[in-house]
Amino acid sequence: MRRLMIMVAVIAGMAPSASFAQLRVPTIVQRVIPATRGRPQQPVVVGIDALRADFRLRAGSDTVYFGGDSGLLSAPTRATLAAQAQWLMRHSEMVVQIEGHADPADTRDHALAVGARRAEAVRQFLILLGVPAGQLTTVSYGKERAAGAANSRAVTVLVR
Amino acid sequence: MKLRMTALIVAAMFAAPLAAQHTVPVIAVPPLATPEDKETSAGSTLSLAWQATQLIASDLQSAADVMALSPDQKDFYSYPEVTAPTHSRWRAKGAKALLTGFVQARPDGRLAVGCYVYDVEKGRELGRTGFVVPAGEWRRAAHKCSGLAYQSLTGAPGIFDTRIAYVAKTGLGTAQVARVAVMDGDGLNHDYVTTGDTLVLTPRLSPNGERLAFVSFTGGKPNVRVMDLASNDQRPLVPGDAISFSPRYSPDGSRILFSMTQAGNTDIYVVNATGGFPQRLTSAPGIDTSASFSPDGSRILFESDRSGFQQLYIMNANGSDQRRITFGGGWYAAPEWSPDGERVAFVRRGSDGLRVGVMKVDGSDLQILTSGPRDEGPSWAVSSRELLFQRGEGFGRSSIYRVGVNGGQPRKVTVPQDAGDPDWSGARD
Repeated sequence: MRRLMIMVAVIAGMAPSASFAQLRVPTIVQRVIPATRGRPQQPVVVGIDALRADFRLRAGSDTVYFGGDSGLLSAPTRATLAAQAQWLMRHSEMVVQIEGHADPADTRDHALAVGARRAEAVRQFLILLGVPAGQLTTVSYGKERAAGAANSRAVTVLVR
Repeated sequence: MKLRMTALIVAAMFAAPLAAQHTVPVIAVPPLATPEDKETSAGSTLSLAWQATQLIASDLQSAADVMALSPDQKDFYSYPEVTAPTHSRWRAKGAKALLTGFVQARPDGRLAVGCYVYDVEKGRELGRTGFVVPAGEWRRAAHKCSGLAYQSLTGAPGIFDTRIAYVAKTGLGTAQVARVAVMDGDGLNHDYVTTGDTLVLTPRLSPNGERLAFVSFTGGKPNVRVMDLASNDQRPLVPGDAISFSPRYSPDGSRILFSMTQAGNTDIYVVNATGGFPQRLTSAPGIDTSASFSPDGSRILFESDRSGFQQLYIMNANGSDQRRITFGGGWYAAPEWSPDGERVAFVRRGSDGLRVGVMKVDGSDLQILTSGPRDEGPSWAVSSRELLFQRGEGFGRSSIYRVGVNGGQPRKVTVPQDAGDPDWSGARD
């Protein structure tokens, strides 16, 4: 118990600028042009799909969830977004689109506004953590791209 | 392609409606007369008169609050009898009212169509109307005759010469293609007016059915666009890349209400239908959307979650004097003011899902009309007697339904594919 407390203190001390401690600090991913012959070098991260996969892996998830019709960021959501922010700050050439979604049980117009509210809440938080605003765009899909019942979400999608 | 209809007799002096009583009035619709059977580009006048008669009867039979006797070719009457019917003959058939009329070929190739409605119990005329139309457009003249009969009998405008817009959906999930479709009120002249390469939502017709405002994901974000249905020309309603949605025309078609999101906050704006600088009408923190004008354009109903949950509010057309009107259980959304000004249609969002209802504009006399659990997007008929709405059927599928506000089960509207977001225009010019 005491050891755990010390560990937390150490980790918090390691990352004083971030509000939320991360247990794994992401390593910088090199972008390497693929070799046309021979074995590829490690690590090889090329193309938008590979970068997206890396983003999801390092940030834990590209998706965060909300309750009710709110745009409130829960503690787990803030932790995921902090990890997303770390990755985005290390990939300052990347631009992301934050897609806000709403509950399928919402009405159509209100759902579009709730999705916009969520995308904006995520954008503001990422800016607060140091991500340049120029890397962040937002869109709302309302309830038009429902992914099952757990549709109250915001997805950070790398676009380029 | 605006239809040109020249009113022969603008008349229509409406007497008190026949159906102040609670019984459904019965109207006889014998075959329209023709003074002389002549060929036209759309067929002989005798044949057109019979087709128009059947269309009028079919229109009136589709309404829940009048009853039309089926036309019978044996019930012909002479051309002079169009304006001098033998009232007792129709009383004997159990009719309270009678529609007569004529179809006449003109030397210029067009048709003259006239209609007269009589109270056969009192032996007096209730109204008349007439048009000169190109032969191929006889259906619209017949729909206008149906409208005259309906208004004479019920006091409410007829819904027959109207247009309906909706979102036509094919495929499911990410492969779904959504297009705006427009059709006549009776389902004919069905046409797709967007191509399906971008997601579209909530088409809203101008009151005369000639223009359309809708939400498109053109450019990647939801934004309101307006379209001229004659030319299919379209443009963004307002410049800029802010998220905008929920358009609705003013009753005179000159202005458009819409919602726009800035910094996550959604407010209601109004802009001239021809463009220009939008005026912001709300500024409360929270989501203000789904705005709808009163028939005289002086007030606006809208929904807001400023109290924490969606409720209906009313304000003046300039945004002043915002007051909440719903206080019952559940949440209230998507209001539309009825064309007669008496009521508001809405969606109630509760533990039983989404249901469509109506109430008085002061929030009293609330009735839930549909069983849910995924019914939304109510749109009034110009008669203020019926609504169209969308019913979600699960698995991403949906259809549009029609329901009377004075009772009765919703009826599915037949269209070629899945459908949502219906909107019903006013009477066409």
